Amino acid sequence: MNAIPKWLWIALGLAVLIVAPIGQGNYFTLILCSWLMFTIAAMGLNLTLGYAGQISLAQASFMAVGAYITALLTLNGIHWIVAMPAAVVACFFIGLLVGFPALRVKGHFLAFVTLAFNTLVVLVLRNEDWLTGGSYGKFNMPRPDFWIFNTARKSDVLGIALSSNQKIYYLCLITFVVFAALMYGLIRSPWGRAFKGLRENPIRAESLGLDTRRITLLAFAIGSAGGGLAGSLMSPVVQFIEPNSFALVHSLRILLMVVVGGAGYFFGPMLGAAVVILLPEFLRFTQGYYLILYSVAVIILMVYSPSGLMGIGDRILSKLRPQRVVRGDMKEGAQL
Amino acid sequence: MEQFLQVLLSGLATGSIYALAAIGFTLVWQAAQTVNFAQGEFVMLPAFFVLIAMNSGLPLPLALIVALAVSVFVLGFLFKKAIVEPMQKHGNGGGLSLIIATMALAIFLKESVKEFYGAEAQPYPPLISGGTWNIGGAIVSVTDIAHLAISLGVVVGLTLFLNRTRTGRAMQATAQNPAVAEILGVDTNRMVLYTFLINAALASLASFLITPVYLAKFSNGEYLGLIAFIAAIVGGFNQIRGALAGGLLIGVLDNITATYITAEYRAAIPLVLLIGIILFRPQGLLGTSEGRTV
Amino acid sequence: MSQTVLSVSHISKSFGGIHAVRDVSFEVQKGEVLGLIGPNGSGKSTLFNCVLGQLQPNAGAVTVKGQSVSGMRACDLNKLGVGRTFQQLSVFPEMTVLDNIILAGQEHHGTMLSRLFGAPDAGLTGEADRMIEFFRLGHLRDEMAGSLSYGQQKLLDAAMAFMAGPDLVLLDEPAGGVNLTMLANLKERLQTYNREHGTTFVVIEHNMEFVMSLCTRIIVLAEGAVIAEGTPEEIRSNSQVIDAYLGG
Repeated sequence: MNAIPKWLWIALGLAVLIVAPIGQGNYFTLILCSWLMFTIAAMGLNLTLGYAGQISLAQASFMAVGAYITALLTLNGIHWIVAMPAAVVACFFIGLLVGFPALRVKGHFLAFVTLAFNTLVVLVLRNEDWLTGGSYGKFNMPRPDFWIFNTARKSDVLGIALSSNQKIYYLCLITFVVFAALMYGLIRSPWGRAFKGLRENPIRAESLGLDTRRITLLAFAIGSAGGGLAGSLMSPVVQFIEPNSFALVHSLRILLMVVVGGAGYFFGPMLGAAVVILLPEFLRFTQGYYLILYSVAVIILMVYSPSGLMGIGDRILSKLRPQRVVRGDMKEGAQL
Repeated sequence: MEQFLQVLLSGLATGSIYALAAIGFTLVWQAAQTVNFAQGEFVMLPAFFVLIAMNSGLPLPLALIVALAVSVFVLGFLFKKAIVEPMQKHGNGGGLSLIIATMALAIFLKESVKEFYGAEAQPYPPLISGGTWNIGGAIVSVTDIAHLAISLGVVVGLTLFLNRTRTGRAMQATAQNPAVAEILGVDTNRMVLYTFLINAALASLASFLITPVYLAKFSNGEYLGLIAFIAAIVGGFNQIRGALAGGLLIGVLDNITATYITAEYRAAIPLVLLIGIILFRPQGLLGTSEGRTV
Repeated sequence: MSQTVLSVSHISKSFGGIHAVRDVSFEVQKGEVLGLIGPNGSGKSTLFNCVLGQLQPNAGAVTVKGQSVSGMRACDLNKLGVGRTFQQLSVFPEMTVLDNIILAGQEHHGTMLSRLFGAPDAGLTGEADRMIEFFRLGHLRDEMAGSLSYGQQKLLDAAMAFMAGPDLVLLDEPAGGVNLTMLANLKERLQTYNREHGTTFVVIEHNMEFVMSLCTRIIVLAEGAVIAEGTPEEIRSNSQVIDAYLGG
């Protein structure tokens, strides 16, 4: 397994993602889009929670802000390529604000503040009809036209007939790849090391010249921007958004993706989002029992491997390489 | 003025029920550092046990007793033994993983009720069905008075139990300093278990009282849980009287907001209160910054 | 000729009615290794925290290189050239030894932006490797810090304090819980570093043997006040110090 270099795995994964929607129907293609969007949101939260150790239950509200800003701008004739950065930047700054409580409180208190924030955002979306369309939400957002690649209608691209849904999938995929590359760079950079330092030992980090306040705020802001990016994809993909799509339960879902996949692992959110989004599709035969089975599985996972599925993988690998000691328990302690 | 009195009283009545859930939440937090994100579902579920018992032919009083017993077993004993204890044994207690596990438990309870009982709101028999009294021109609901009396009675009883009995004091010692309590010969594990059982009983009582208002629905816990957290934090996370005050305050504020200020943003008031309290007075309105540090 | 790195003048600090530190003054010159000793409750830790800017003294002032540290944040104090170690284990357990050391130096290199877009190691791998070798942790370079032994983590903690090239290093009970072999190693490394770089040390320590052999000057505190000051030889023969330690 170790004989195959990492880049080859990534190339292989990318190849699978590129051919995945070909020959597939709309339903499957949109499920894949959904997976990519939630992966982006979960990767953002993974930075805040997994790397920097700051719990946030508000990621869905940042998706909401991103989605509504994108919807309002694109419905008014502004191209998605302009609306998307606007949404991301807005979420960055709102995330900065939401990060301020993290300077005063930690752990479960922070969970409650962010939880309250999420609920407030949904209330505003529901009540400010003039702007947000109230409970009816916003619909018929246009899909972007990139000159030779118009995602709004079907056409042949490089000799392959692609539907509008398939093309919007590729928009999601490109956004995802670019975002993942940026995140990878960020995590490997000194900033990433500073985020981990904040998670593992904030007092020591501060004594080494690290401005932990600034790092905390940045962790929130960048993580929230990830939520905003996911939201700005949701607008043209789903073409219908309403307040309930961003309720607290969806923040919990994104949190579950991060934790089930493995908080603090780069590939954790991708795996976690796949489990949360794709698995129900494969387990359709269980019907309504799916969520029941799923919640039991999460409880068992939390009891036996709090570092998630990636943690289990890590443990198996460390059995193969016994000299490396993996201490998921210590990370857990440092997170809260 | 008469209207204000009515609004105030019914706010207090609802608030006292919130307080029951909030007190249980606080007790469990104190005793086991467990933030129970499923507390709302703990309030949602017992009402369904009552309905199931009644469907199988039991009269309401008997159904209530059966439901209480089942709830205390499932939400107290099983919760402690099957989830919290194994996690703490693995060294994961109190952390993020326990928060996630209780969130998953919330989903489990909610979805189970939805699957096995039904997604529709079910009518639920009121515990007390009274008319109204006219006190000095103000129309006062007997149900409100009864709710307030029952809840406050339970809180007073609980406080007496914790302060005056040997077991109660052992429980408090366990919550304040488990290591010292252990040295003094207290069976701390048992005391923590008692706390979980009391929490389940309080949640059941809250369930029996509040469900006639909301009807029995699998999703009731979402709102109730949030309110219980907020009440516990607003009052002071480490105190019974704090949770009581927090519950009453939120009940009253909620009613006053809905009647006099804004119906749309009614739900926002407790949230804003929560954020304000956490940021500017994290120990809560009545809490002290001493006690066990977080 | 000599240059004052740390100046403590007329510091007093009380908690409630208890005077933890009363009117303590001293100066530390560049290159000195000063030991602060005293029995439990003598005010060492309070004084130490005042020097770190973590506690506000009721009276008096602490300056590092002429700058008042009162109310200064720990990260700014570090930028001013003050490194420190901790009493308890204080490393980043889920990061490699190398990453621990680089993190200790990276905030002193480049800007926020260069740290985001520049090299992942902030150009510090070479320097970090030299520091790891200096503290004889070379064989553990790529291990997780949390998997190191207690003594090794203490060495790593010390190495981190030096990574930014500080003028003054505050060592908070560096010998606590470290076995004898490791202790000799730590002491020898600290002395070598001091000799090679002229870095000033202030050491708080219980282990008398360690302090006596490491420090060039020692200040003895008892009940919040300085009762003796001098070279290790002078302190060893001071009857007041002996009384304070024997509870006389």
